[in-house]
Amino acid sequence: MRTLPAGRSRPAGTRPAGGRAGGGAPAGVPTGAARRRRAVRPGRIALNACAAAVLAVMAFPVYWMFATAFRPTAEIQAGTPGLWPAHPTLEHFAAAVAADGFWTFWRNSLAVTAAAVLLALTVALLSAVAVARMRWRGRGPFIVMVFAAQMAPWEALLVPMFVIARDTGLLDSLAMLTGVYFMITLPFTIVTLRGFLAAVPAELEEAALVDGCTRPAAFRRVIFPLLAPGLMATSLFGFVTAWNEFAFVNVLIIKDRDKRTLPVWLSSFRDVFGTDWGATMAAATLFALPVLVVFLFLQRRVGAGLTAGAVKG
Amino acid sequence: MKHRLLAAAAALALAATAAACGSGSGGGSAAPADSGPVRLTVWIMDGSVTDELVKRFETGYESAHPGVDLDVQIQAWDGIGERTTAALASTDAPDVIEVGNTQVAQYAASGGVRDLSGEVADLGGADWIPGLAQPGNIDGRQYGVPWYAANRVVVYNKDLFAKAGIEAPPRTRDEWLEITARLDRGGDQGIYLTGQTWYALAGFVWDEGGDLAVKEGGRWKGALDTPQALAGMDFYRRLQALGKGPKDADEANPPQHEVFAQGRVAQMISVPGGAARVLEVAPEMKGKLGFFPIPGKTADKPGAVFTGGSDLIIPEASRHPDAAYAVVKALAGEDFQTELAKTMNFVPNRASLAHVLDADEGTAAMARGAANGRATPNTPNWAAVEATSVIKQYMTAVLTGKDPATEARKASEAITTTLNSGS
Amino acid sequence: MRTRNLWPYLLIAPTVAGGVFLLLYPLLRAALISVQHFRMGELVRGGARLTGLDNYRELLAAEEFWAVTLRTFGWTAVNVVLIVGLSTAVALMLARLGRRMRVALMSVLALVWATPVIAATTIFQWLFQSELGIVNRLLVALGFDSFQGHSWFADGGAMFGVLVALVVWQSVPFAALTLYAGLTTIPAELYESARIDGGTGPQIFARVTFPILRPMFALVTSLEVIWVFKCFPQIWVLGQGGPDGATTTLPVYAFKVARVLHRYDLGSAVAMLTVAVLAVALAGNLRRMLRQEGAGS
Repeated sequence: MRTLPAGRSRPAGTRPAGGRAGGGAPAGVPTGAARRRRAVRPGRIALNACAAAVLAVMAFPVYWMFATAFRPTAEIQAGTPGLWPAHPTLEHFAAAVAADGFWTFWRNSLAVTAAAVLLALTVALLSAVAVARMRWRGRGPFIVMVFAAQMAPWEALLVPMFVIARDTGLLDSLAMLTGVYFMITLPFTIVTLRGFLAAVPAELEEAALVDGCTRPAAFRRVIFPLLAPGLMATSLFGFVTAWNEFAFVNVLIIKDRDKRTLPVWLSSFRDVFGTDWGATMAAATLFALPVLVVFLFLQRRVGAGLTAGAVKG
Repeated sequence: MKHRLLAAAAALALAATAAACGSGSGGGSAAPADSGPVRLTVWIMDGSVTDELVKRFETGYESAHPGVDLDVQIQAWDGIGERTTAALASTDAPDVIEVGNTQVAQYAASGGVRDLSGEVADLGGADWIPGLAQPGNIDGRQYGVPWYAANRVVVYNKDLFAKAGIEAPPRTRDEWLEITARLDRGGDQGIYLTGQTWYALAGFVWDEGGDLAVKEGGRWKGALDTPQALAGMDFYRRLQALGKGPKDADEANPPQHEVFAQGRVAQMISVPGGAARVLEVAPEMKGKLGFFPIPGKTADKPGAVFTGGSDLIIPEASRHPDAAYAVVKALAGEDFQTELAKTMNFVPNRASLAHVLDADEGTAAMARGAANGRATPNTPNWAAVEATSVIKQYMTAVLTGKDPATEARKASEAITTTLNSGS
Repeated sequence: MRTRNLWPYLLIAPTVAGGVFLLLYPLLRAALISVQHFRMGELVRGGARLTGLDNYRELLAAEEFWAVTLRTFGWTAVNVVLIVGLSTAVALMLARLGRRMRVALMSVLALVWATPVIAATTIFQWLFQSELGIVNRLLVALGFDSFQGHSWFADGGAMFGVLVALVVWQSVPFAALTLYAGLTTIPAELYESARIDGGTGPQIFARVTFPILRPMFALVTSLEVIWVFKCFPQIWVLGQGGPDGATTTLPVYAFKVARVLHRYDLGSAVAMLTVAVLAVALAGNLRRMLRQEGAGS
């Protein structure tokens, strides 16, 4: 029980806890000697150049969003934009924040997303325990159903959902929206959580049981702390999905515009800002920001969590 | 069928009560029955009115009707068909919705729109201009209340015309091309015409003697592939090339009045009200905007134009039909119509108000053009043709170098299919 | 530890309940609509009547449906091949990089992955904007003058290309990080012995890496197939499936038919067929899954 890998109890950032891969030297923290030796190899330089290129290509669109958001309009429309904003300004952010209803939409998005994710996590955790820790009749089909549920054609369910919401008086209600988002994120959350759970050795739990813990107590005291990174990583998947959704908002929120969410607002940005790309990019930045912040905050854990979860799939 | 008849009867009965109240102290008299103020939601399309006019109407109406809390929401054009349908199908719809005049028929056909036939007299319907009243009238029942009409003119920048030494607006299409080419130099655009301004194309096609679709023996047929329609498209292509309008977008993306407001565009095709929106963005351009009707093939007749306009409808699912009717009555009444015509340069919904526009240069140009006004094919399915953007995509294809004849045939086939699919 | 009590069933009860009410029930409603005459009038008034398989017949007889289906397969194939190929390369690269570079690259991948779809789509609209977009400006600066004011969203092929770039850019991070996580679990000794046996890089990948990671490749590939096949917001926001339907895939088609043309019946039929197609395409994978799970873990 004390042989817990260090990477689990205190996830070591993006450093993998398991073995090392790769044809060349181990990819972990290299010794000084190894690093020196490597530095002179031309293959090494090519590899790093390659990585730098990938990094630049991947990062550029996001960078360009930030850069445009901070540029004065005149600079955006100038013939040759520099790589950096020459005269950074916050005017576009001011314009975006001042736009009609921004904070209301922002708050709605946050409330709906957080509620849906928490609900999905709780429900998924229960299922994941049943699947990863117990054997029962129907377990196989259940897993396959959960996997298959990811194929659900949500765009086609817009009209049935509208009819159901109308007939139950749930139009213009954030509760209905939360329910839908909960269901959209649930299958993936179960699949991933189950992976994380399977990576936690069952012996730990058994030992706790032997020590006289009840099963729920064993779960709470032993498994749950180990599962925390996994839960966080998974919540991020759900957060990104629910934060993005806009088709259902358009169908379920009709009359009460104070219940719309941020993606709807952003996808109709042209009506709000017209040709003002600076304000549009500022709005996109503000939209992406919560996810990026949560991500940066969780990133060290997520790195390790991803490793644990994905391997068992 | 029975269901519809019943609903119609109920609506008539309701309407009768509303009329009784309406003739008295207006919608306000209905309010005390409800607890607290009645919250009314009104959907107005983006571009119909300026923000300032909306605010003025809201404040004015609320102070005249203490029991009413008016919530005017400006709706984006993007996805409006879906939203309106959902609203009609809901149980608590917005109380008043502005609908394009080509769209009323399909909404009325769905059964979700209140029949206001009994109200026509109360609304002063005898005075309505026929071009607007007719699209709101389906099978003898009045579903849409005419709100305003407008057709496109050319709005031009007087400074740029003077700079290019152009004294008088063009009177024929050839002159138009010629002066536009002269205006299109340096950083200035001769005309800002986006690639998907389809009603401008419709005008050129009508001028050539073609049409968008024709009815042959009970069946509709797309007609963009006729020689006349192709000639219209060819003119559009030549005109569009004299500026930097994006070939793959319509005039709302980006809003053309904003582009025009930057002062480097000599002309744009717009309703006269577009000028008011330019001035909203760039007040310093006051006095610098001129208007002329879209030139025709010969100097004696202006170009054909699409008569656009809007109707107001009350959904069956409105929870406050009486109060909603009072709002419609105010919006369609003389006071607001006069203001609307003055501010937005629209043609008001009643003939007796036509004089309001006499002094205005923009509406004078519009009135001259309106003499040659035309409508889109008269079928409820036309709305679906607009919704599928098939004409817009055809235009973009031709403008970006595809073979016009082939593309026109494809587009016409698509239109044929859409117009003949039952609903 | 085979449990014979009720616990597992109690634990999955909320999931099952959610699934029944929020997924199965709407799905059944959608299936019902697909065999009804259900258009704007029926949505507003109710009272749809059954029409049997008429909608399916109409759909299967329409040339457009087959063109869209074919395009969807092409779209999925191009994207998934690019995503899996590129992310394998990136994962292998990650495994060989020095620590600092690796952390930097992983952080950027995470950043991209966390960028919301709508924001990403908006960014790409801006990058490829015809007059002020940086892509055209770079191309002109590089001497390709024909790209001055070039409309990327006007031509079917170009639009398709931009969409592929967008979807691949967004999807590579998840796949690459997942595959990299898998790579780190392969014991270094296996590589050592393979190298001693004289294997070259590609041979080692084919003989050691791939076989061990086969289940993971299968998982990543099938998830990407599902996601790309069903991909909707990017296509819709960027061009509504246009120009001229050149980027209309099945989900976009279903949405267009239902929401724009108000043919809810036909749209539901498209969706039902989409699910069927996807299920058939992934049937092998699902069956293998069932077999594995049946054997117990």
